[in-house]
Amino acid sequence: MNRVVCLPRILAALALLWCCLGRRGTAETPAIVEPTADQAGPSSTAFVLTGLSTPDRGAGVDDSVVRTFRDRNGGLFEGWPKPQAVVVVTGELDGYIEPCGCTGKENQKGGLSRRRNFLRALTAANWPLVTVDLGGQVKRFGRQSEIKFQSIADGLRTMGYAAVGFGPGDLRLPAEELVAAVAPVGDQPTPFVSVNVGLLGLDANITPRFRIVEAGGLRFGIVSVLGDAEAKQLRNDAIEIVPAAQGLEAAAAELKKANCTHQILLSWASPEETKSLAARFPQFDIVATAGGADEPPAELPTLPGGARLVELGHKGMYAVAIAFFADAQKPLRSQRVPLDARWGEAEDMITLLATYQSQLESLGLTGLGLTAVRHPSGRRFAGSVSCADCHQHAFDVWKDTPHATALATLEEQTPRRDGDPECLSCHVVGWAPQRYEPFEGGFAGMKATPHLAHQGCENCHGPAAAHAAVERGDVRASVTERDRLRSELAMSIDTPEGKQKAVNNCLECHDLDNSPQFDFDTYWPQVEHPTPEAEADKAK
Amino acid sequence: MRLPNAWVAAGVAAFLGATFGGGIAMLEAASRPWRAGDFVPGSVRPSGPSPAIDAPETQFNFGNVGAGGTGSHEFIIHNTGDAPLELTRGVTSCSCTVADFEETEEGSTSVKLVPPGGSTKLNVKWKGKGGGGPFRQQASVSTNDPRRPQIAFVVEGMVVPTYKALPQSISLPKLSAGTANQATVRVFTFGMEPPTITSLTLDEEKTAQFYSLTSTPIETAELAAETGATGGFQITVDIRPGLPVGPLRQIIKAVFRMPEEITVDIPVHGTVSGDLALVGQAWDSSREMLMLGTVSSRSGSQTNLFLTAKGPHRADVKPVVRNVVPDSLEVVVGEGKPVGSGNVIRIPLSITILPGSAPANHMCSPQAPAGQIVLDTGLPDSPALTIPVCITITP
Repeated sequence: MNRVVCLPRILAALALLWCCLGRRGTAETPAIVEPTADQAGPSSTAFVLTGLSTPDRGAGVDDSVVRTFRDRNGGLFEGWPKPQAVVVVTGELDGYIEPCGCTGKENQKGGLSRRRNFLRALTAANWPLVTVDLGGQVKRFGRQSEIKFQSIADGLRTMGYAAVGFGPGDLRLPAEELVAAVAPVGDQPTPFVSVNVGLLGLDANITPRFRIVEAGGLRFGIVSVLGDAEAKQLRNDAIEIVPAAQGLEAAAAELKKANCTHQILLSWASPEETKSLAARFPQFDIVATAGGADEPPAELPTLPGGARLVELGHKGMYAVAIAFFADAQKPLRSQRVPLDARWGEAEDMITLLATYQSQLESLGLTGLGLTAVRHPSGRRFAGSVSCADCHQHAFDVWKDTPHATALATLEEQTPRRDGDPECLSCHVVGWAPQRYEPFEGGFAGMKATPHLAHQGCENCHGPAAAHAAVERGDVRASVTERDRLRSELAMSIDTPEGKQKAVNNCLECHDLDNSPQFDFDTYWPQVEHPTPEAEADKAK
Repeated sequence: MRLPNAWVAAGVAAFLGATFGGGIAMLEAASRPWRAGDFVPGSVRPSGPSPAIDAPETQFNFGNVGAGGTGSHEFIIHNTGDAPLELTRGVTSCSCTVADFEETEEGSTSVKLVPPGGSTKLNVKWKGKGGGGPFRQQASVSTNDPRRPQIAFVVEGMVVPTYKALPQSISLPKLSAGTANQATVRVFTFGMEPPTITSLTLDEEKTAQFYSLTSTPIETAELAAETGATGGFQITVDIRPGLPVGPLRQIIKAVFRMPEEITVDIPVHGTVSGDLALVGQAWDSSREMLMLGTVSSRSGSQTNLFLTAKGPHRADVKPVVRNVVPDSLEVVVGEGKPVGSGNVIRIPLSITILPGSAPANHMCSPQAPAGQIVLDTGLPDSPALTIPVCITITP
């Protein structure tokens, strides 16, 4: 009797449970790509859509941020059922380990931290995940790029990448540094693969030629290749590169035997060269290419052989997710994922960035191999305070502008950026902004050159040490010489040539990366500092 | 009597559960903000009058655009619904892209109301950035069409630069101080006239003596390598032996006319280093130490390194182990093999701490100075190579 009594009670309980689950199914399922607090893990930003999280960096993302960026950059995975597996393709980071910019990081896309949280969100949603990267972690040369490459490689390992290719910027680094960065760590194999690039020679087998991974019952074969045109531009004796087709030939034959359900080609080549390789090796159904436009297309184009072509955009601002479904009508869907502020910050990647910054700081400018170069004018710098002796009005205007506290903005960040030459170059006096190197007599640190901190007068007018010395009477000069020194520093935007010169100078720092909204005519009134005489002349 | 009551209770519970649970779901769904993905687009069937956006074209290819040139395209938007369609201009993906609706009577170009059956135009302007290459940017528009609350209009094309240097810079990682080197850069131009070089100079005077520069026109047949190129020249850089060891930095300044004068800066950067280098995960190149860490003598461990040799005497490098501290390190030198074109020889080194090795402490501190591996190299200029080793072998 008791069993009979219990049965309806169990049914009632099941009915209640079903109702609750049904409710969850309709209301919560679409949130699969946005991790909830309990899914995100201890070192991740909590993503909740009920407005309970803190909209602070690294502390949480609230409804309004998600709404803002959904409206700005589009919704994600709308109407998607759970896939069998999803392949996330990234690449062309170009050294942008984090987004930079004077206009606020929230207005920019990209960075390893957001990428980390995006991948975590997919994992938290129980989407079987395979993550691959085309390569191109760095673009510049030198010790800073070597350290950056190592940091990024560490980050990719932490994120569980299955395969990572090499871009030409990576392969310009010394092979010794590359080997140290990509070598296996403990039991964890290297994620770096290439069919035609061999660090210290292909037969050194430092990186495997391809990788096979399984996810969601699917089997993926992944290869990476460097295109022939890019290979021709490289000069690195300690790296062996064979023609792309030759490398692919051998790997493709082995992959064919491996019974993969999908084969992925990561091709660092122009889209034209990639398409040619895809046509020659039609076994690859997903083909990622370099050299596309600034941002990837919303839909994956289909190549003549049926492969889907993946472009990634530049500077790691996007990831592309390709999901596979057991659905004959729609077996594949893709989503271009902007890595914007809605992904928040991941603590482990922030720690990685802090370590990177601390390495730069401990090496210092000399340790980073930065040697001061001669300014094109051959002159040296005096510091903005020297200018105030005579140009008090201009100095008073300047000291109330953000230019006068430019270095402080780097010191106040977490982690601090004032040891990073790529940041310093636009926040101090006497550096080449786009080459990230100091001029002779330019800022060399707060201890040695505190008078050259911040974005000062001489970055626009030119080095003024000789002019200041003559005007102070420290150095004797003829009237002609004195006037020449004065005229060399004078600027005017009253002529088209003069204005263009001023605009070009501003654009050295206010570039599309750091100041995308920069407009000279809007910004100039905020820093304008005509001499009282010039103002009087204008008034007449 | 009790049996039917139990079934009734189950039925009531199921009914209440369904009603209560469903009610909560509806209330919760209604009270929380809408989010992307709640509905499958197109599944909404509004009752009553509703606007309906119809944009026959959402993507336009400008084709080739000159660097700094501009292009614009008008996208047509129809309202095929039976209520006014409200359009609000959203953000563009780049400040180089501007989108405007036709100006309203109030002078607004950011908001547009389209009556049922009416149409409007969205004008998207794009300015070509320097550098060249493909571009793709989008302008988004928010609508009050419940089936399509947002729509993106995409412009794409190809920026044709004035010139293009390949490569853009010369990187010479780990250059041998004792070897002559050569590098080339090809500058392709895309103007009506072929370029005429007026000067080819070096920016850094201190090391200029080690460089010599020559230029030659790129043959017509070779121009085909760069789509659209109409002219070009190749710069050959010869670097003499003797550059000081350390960072290498130079800038080649090429000035040419086509007919306007253009200056191209081609940075040369790299490092000039000794002819021998160690490579491997355990080699800390910043500290120049082999970091083997703490090893248990019970399990032992094994580390692989490579010694690379370059320079004119690279083939003579035949390392022989002369001395090892602690002496429990077993160092085996493998056979040297050329890498790629043969300018570098790679020699494997295997370092093993055998199980049962005696405890030792060489953690590179004042109290526990570094151990070392000393190799006789076979090189006339540097016959011995000492590798500092940081290691602790615990019992």
